[in-house]
Amino acid sequence: MHVLDPTAEANPTPVSRAPRLDSLHHRSIGLLSNGKASVAPLFDHLESLLRQEWKAREVLRLTKGNYSAPAEPDLIRALARCHLIFTGVGD
Amino acid sequence: MVSSTTLLSTRYEIEDERAAQDFFHEKGWTDGLPVVAPTPERVLSCLDEAGLAPDQVIGIEPVRARPITAEKAAVNAVLAGCQPSHFPVVAAILEAMCRPEFLLHGATASTGGCAVFVVVNGPVRLTLGMEPTFNVLGNSDRASAVIGRAVRLVLRNVLDLRPGELDRSALGHPGKSGYCIAEDEEGSDWTPLAQLRGAPDGVSAVTVLAAGAPRQIMNEWTRVPEEILETFAAEMRANMLHYSIWGGNYAIVVPKQLRDRLHDAGWTKQHVQQFLFERARVRKGDWARVGKRALVTVTNRDEEHAALLSPADLLVIAAGGPAGGFGAIIPPWFGHKSRAVTTGVGVCFAC
Repeated sequence: MHVLDPTAEANPTPVSRAPRLDSLHHRSIGLLSNGKASVAPLFDHLESLLRQEWKAREVLRLTKGNYSAPAEPDLIRALARCHLIFTGVGD
Repeated sequence: MVSSTTLLSTRYEIEDERAAQDFFHEKGWTDGLPVVAPTPERVLSCLDEAGLAPDQVIGIEPVRARPITAEKAAVNAVLAGCQPSHFPVVAAILEAMCRPEFLLHGATASTGGCAVFVVVNGPVRLTLGMEPTFNVLGNSDRASAVIGRAVRLVLRNVLDLRPGELDRSALGHPGKSGYCIAEDEEGSDWTPLAQLRGAPDGVSAVTVLAAGAPRQIMNEWTRVPEEILETFAAEMRANMLHYSIWGGNYAIVVPKQLRDRLHDAGWTKQHVQQFLFERARVRKGDWARVGKRALVTVTNRDEEHAALLSPADLLVIAAGGPAGGFGAIIPPWFGHKSRAVTTGVGVCFAC
């Protein structure tokens, strides 16, 4: 007998990775929090590292309005100017 | 009937139905219970019953843009034990779950561990022999069991919501194995849920709610509607303090004994909605009584939160066995982040 595969199977749309940065020095860095409380201390520490050790040009910290949903379009637009974005989930 | 050559899924050759059990378990394509082998013939019968082409997209999970095709839904419905007659209901449920306001990805991947609670209304309940009375929340009939299970297997196999993978539930609850009931329309003079939410009379419809486990209440010591409903309100307030304070769609299931007492006093579903809208409220300061003092501040302690954003947010469902002063509240996964959705079975009444 034959049976059918129950999984999605379809190949996802191919995406390419963004070019890697040579260095974090003097870059604009985005930190996107999902909004849960435990992200804050992690990002505080990360921001401190980025500013002190990597002399970040800018650290843009934004927080999603709903941690269970995708980031709002205006957040994505604001983060578009960054060279690198960290996103954090803090449970 | 659609030709089997139109099916796109990979085919595997196996010896027999018994071998199918090991095959699907080893692949991780079941919930641990035995499955029915999804042969091309069985899948085609489901598609034929619903009048759906195999490549028809029932819905798209919006966050990952992952389509759920009729063929994949049917394969999983057969796996779950569905007969062809059950499949149009499964398809309607999936369509409702893919509406943006349901927030399918968040609701099903969340650490909060909710399940998709389904209420079926209309003539299809009778056609399928759904049993809305005894043991209604505990596996009361074949159709409810396999339809509920089909939803879970679609999530697992098509959207990769396996525990520890995309399903990040800390606990989950037993409703994740299947959380489908029918409303007892014949045993109630109340307006059926789907009609209250916009479905025309006589149309079969499903309502989906991203929901926590049922919380059972008991009050058989009064005939006063306000006292009966105060017990429901207390359980809703408890959920707000112990789980989530945020308001949204709550469901309550009211079996016949308490339902008759409310009905005899002239209370409609709208009266019930209005009463619980007014009574199911807490203040943030109440958190201090349940161990959440850290969240209470001088500025927020008097902030009032309602379980329902409006009276219509309450889904009042007539269901359950005839004896006993019981009832249940079914809380939302997480306030209003996910909204209940009602849609027709094989028909769009909102188009």
